[in-house]
Amino acid sequence: MSRWMILSMLVVVAMAMYAAQQSKPVSSSASKQMAGDGQVQRITLPQYPAQIAPGPNVEVYKKNCLTCHTTRYVSMQPGFAKAVWQSEVKKMVEVYGAPISDADQTLIVEYLVAVKGVEATPVSGVATK
Amino acid sequence: MRTSADKPSQCGTAVNRRHFVTTLLSVYGLALARQAFGLDPGWIWVENASPDTGALTLARYPQKTELILLTDRPPQLETPLRYFLADITPNEAFFVRWHLSGIPTSIDLNSFRLEVSGKVNKPLSLSLNELRSKFEPVSLVAFTQCAGNFRSWFEPRVPGGQWGSGAMGNARWKGVRLKDVLDAAGVQAGAVQVGLRGLDVPALDKTPVFQKSLQIDHARDGEVLIAYEMNGEALPMLNGYPIRLVVPGWYATYWVKALSSISVLDQPLKTFWMDKAYRIPDNAEANEEPQHLASATVPINEMAVHSIFVKPAPGEQLRAGQRYELAGVASDGGSGVRGVEVSSDGGRTWSDATLGADLGKYSWRTWRANWAPPTKGTYKLMVRATSNNGQKQVAAQWNRSGYQRDVIEHLDVAVV
Repeated sequence: MSRWMILSMLVVVAMAMYAAQQSKPVSSSASKQMAGDGQVQRITLPQYPAQIAPGPNVEVYKKNCLTCHTTRYVSMQPGFAKAVWQSEVKKMVEVYGAPISDADQTLIVEYLVAVKGVEATPVSGVATK
Repeated sequence: MRTSADKPSQCGTAVNRRHFVTTLLSVYGLALARQAFGLDPGWIWVENASPDTGALTLARYPQKTELILLTDRPPQLETPLRYFLADITPNEAFFVRWHLSGIPTSIDLNSFRLEVSGKVNKPLSLSLNELRSKFEPVSLVAFTQCAGNFRSWFEPRVPGGQWGSGAMGNARWKGVRLKDVLDAAGVQAGAVQVGLRGLDVPALDKTPVFQKSLQIDHARDGEVLIAYEMNGEALPMLNGYPIRLVVPGWYATYWVKALSSISVLDQPLKTFWMDKAYRIPDNAEANEEPQHLASATVPINEMAVHSIFVKPAPGEQLRAGQRYELAGVASDGGSGVRGVEVSSDGGRTWSDATLGADLGKYSWRTWRANWAPPTKGTYKLMVRATSNNGQKQVAAQWNRSGYQRDVIEHLDVAVV
């Protein structure tokens, strides 16, 4: 076999390998996909178990507070004074439009103070947020 | 004063657990299987921390590596500290923060359009392909962070997303100038602002939809981008695929994700998200006292100069007499970081750190400094940065919402 034949075979093999590389689908990792017309991109969000500390009126909390957000909005917080929790619950109703009755608001604040209250003297001022 | 030193366990724990899991995966070959099947969205590893420490949970979301889970609906994911040793934050590790539970999880580029409307001569409805082909592409490295990054470091504590240091990142963005798109639509006389909306929607009709505004001159300054690439790839869905606004030097609340609507306005936008939320005391340091809250507030805007330690990590022990390379990052609101100084004696003496690569004025700067603790004991390390426009960090700061942290941070480190 002549040197030229070997060389040309090598070139053919290299071209074939290159072509195979090109025809491979883009990496299955969606983060590698480049945007362009005609593509649909979809993700599925994972589900996480609720983190619900036991406490008074926990059912009222569960009924009202989980429509818009996860329990982690509460479980990630440090302890706060009652006035802070009152202001947070009020914000959910008045700003975000949560349909929570006055009676349930009071019960929810009781729950939040029980599971995420502070024992030390409340910090004044923060509550006026 | 609560500082980084008071948060020793968070990142250290996350790192150790991650190493443990990584080891397990390689031992049993699961890592290979994972690679072979790509990012299977149904395959989620969840570490269940105690209910009181939700922030310590590590979670893997689609197109993301293991990040610290603050909340899962809507997703708020924090970048572990160790990623900040690099100049560029990888897409898979870049933090995630959404406000409303109805976030986009499916995008069809055949139907996706960016609408440009309002006080313009010619309303536009642009596909991603049109954005890419009809406008000049531009690219820049820009740092951003959540307005409430470091919120959990404020004392007294304030309610809100309890972020540590990981609601930030530095990336190379590529896209088109907002100015060019506005010029193509033809902004009419009398325009004062642009209103910006994305595809996210609230669970309740009564919840205000997330929208932000920029003054018209800012929107047309040629620096604000509509980005379709992040570090050379399409944006991850959770970071705003297919396009997001990039407002260099400004807090991430303005970097509207899954941007779908730009409205040119002849009156300032009225929205909860500008008028009530994301506001800071009307002073340069965003400072107020719990007993004397500022009466005047303004929408948060340019990022303050700030710097942190990445090495040592909180809780890491050093050896007496051994040379150690301190490392961290420093950032500001767009003039660029001029210098970083570190102290190992609680701020009595300071020495210059060496700055890392200069990737442009909107990029953060990594920094390094050699230190050999002479004897055993506890040292109070401190770090402070100065920006090119002379902005400096402050000794103490607090505000009711835990925004715009610019405190000179300290880290108590044990030398054994």
